[in-house]
Amino acid sequence: MFELLIQYIREGRIKLDKSKFDNVLATYHDPCNYARKAEKLFGHGYFDEPRWILDQCMENWVDLYPAKREQFCCGGGGGTMTTGYNAERILYGKKKMDQIKAAGAKMLVVPCHSCHGQINNIKKEYEMEDLEVKYLWELVADCLKV
Amino acid sequence: MEEIQQTIEMDRLNHGRFESWPFSQDFCVTCGLCSSSCPASGIDGFDPRKLVRMVSLGLEDEVIEARWPWICTMCAKCEHVCPMEINIPGMVRSIRGLREREKVPGILHKGLDAALKTGNNLSLPKEDFIFILEDVGEEIADEPGFEGFKVPIDKEGANILTTIHNKLVNTHTDDLKHWWKIFYAAKEDWTVPSDNWEGTNWGLFTGDDAAMKTMTGRIVDNMEKLKIRNLLWPE
Repeated sequence: MFELLIQYIREGRIKLDKSKFDNVLATYHDPCNYARKAEKLFGHGYFDEPRWILDQCMENWVDLYPAKREQFCCGGGGGTMTTGYNAERILYGKKKMDQIKAAGAKMLVVPCHSCHGQINNIKKEYEMEDLEVKYLWELVADCLKV
Repeated sequence: MEEIQQTIEMDRLNHGRFESWPFSQDFCVTCGLCSSSCPASGIDGFDPRKLVRMVSLGLEDEVIEARWPWICTMCAKCEHVCPMEINIPGMVRSIRGLREREKVPGILHKGLDAALKTGNNLSLPKEDFIFILEDVGEEIADEPGFEGFKVPIDKEGANILTTIHNKLVNTHTDDLKHWWKIFYAAKEDWTVPSDNWEGTNWGLFTGDDAAMKTMTGRIVDNMEKLKIRNLLWPE
C-alpha cells in the first residue's frame, strides 16, 4: 500500500497539490499492525514511508509525541470495535486523544480502518468533534491534480 | 477473577498445558514494564503481567474464561518494551482461540462465520455488491476530471487485484472513492473480484487460524483465477 503510493508519486503517475491543506495542522498515527507488529513479524515496520507520503501532500504536519515504535495505541485494535466492550474501548482512547490535543492537530491521518473507525467514533467523547480523521490514501486522493 | 486470587491448587501448576505454544511466558521476570506500557492496564483489573503469570502457572480455564484477552487491543506495546521479548499479543490471541466459538464476544465470530459461509462479513449478495460498486463508480464519473470512470470487476490479467473492507459497501460507501480516484489518475490497470472480496479477516482477532487460512486462500484463488500477480490488501 505504502510502496504503491510512493511508486505513483516517484514515477510522476500522480501529481499532488501541496497547498490544499495549507491552513490545517495535520498529524500522523502509526497503527500497530503496520508499525510495531510489522517490524517484529516481517523485519520491517512502516515508519518512514507514510511520513514521506505526508511530506508530498502537505508542508504543515507534525509528529505526535511519542511516535513510531513508541506510538500510543488508538484503542480500537484487536477487534475491540466489535467485541461490544465499548466503555473500555472509549476509556483507552483517552491517552490517544490527549496526545492529539497536545500536538494541536486539527487533522489525523491514519492508514488503518480500525484506527480510523475508533478515533472517529470516540472524538465526541473527548470534545474533539472538529478533528478530521483521514485515511492516508484519502489525503493523497484529496491532493490529486486532475 | 477473584476466586483464583484466593486459591491456586497445586495440581493445576502445570506448565505442560501450554507447552504446545511457542511462547516464552516462563521467561517472565515480572518487571511490570508491560503493565506500565499497556493502554488497557487497570481496566477491569487487567494487567498483562498478571496474565502472563497466569499462563505460566497453567491457569488455562481461568484465562480462557476471563474478559482480559478480549479487552486487550493486541497493540504490542508490551512486547516492544519487554526485556525478555515475550510475545504477549500472540499469547492473548492464542487464548482467544481456545474459547468456545459461541462465547466469542460481540459480532466477531458471527461476522467471521458469515464470511466463511457467504464470502463476506455482511452476507451481502453478489448482485447487491456489484450494484453498489457501479453506483459509486457513476458518482465518481460525474466529478470533473474523472470523466468515463468505470469500476473494473473481475478483469482478467489486470495488474492489481484489490480487496474491499465490508464497511465500505455498507455505511461508508464514499470511502470507496479514494483508491479508485488514485487508480484513475495513475492510469492503473486494476480490478475488484465479485466473489470473496472481503478484505477483513476476523480470524486474526478471534484466534482462528483455520478461518484465516480459508479467507486468505480465497484471495489467492481470485488472483490465480484472474491471472493477477499483485494484490492491494489495505485492510
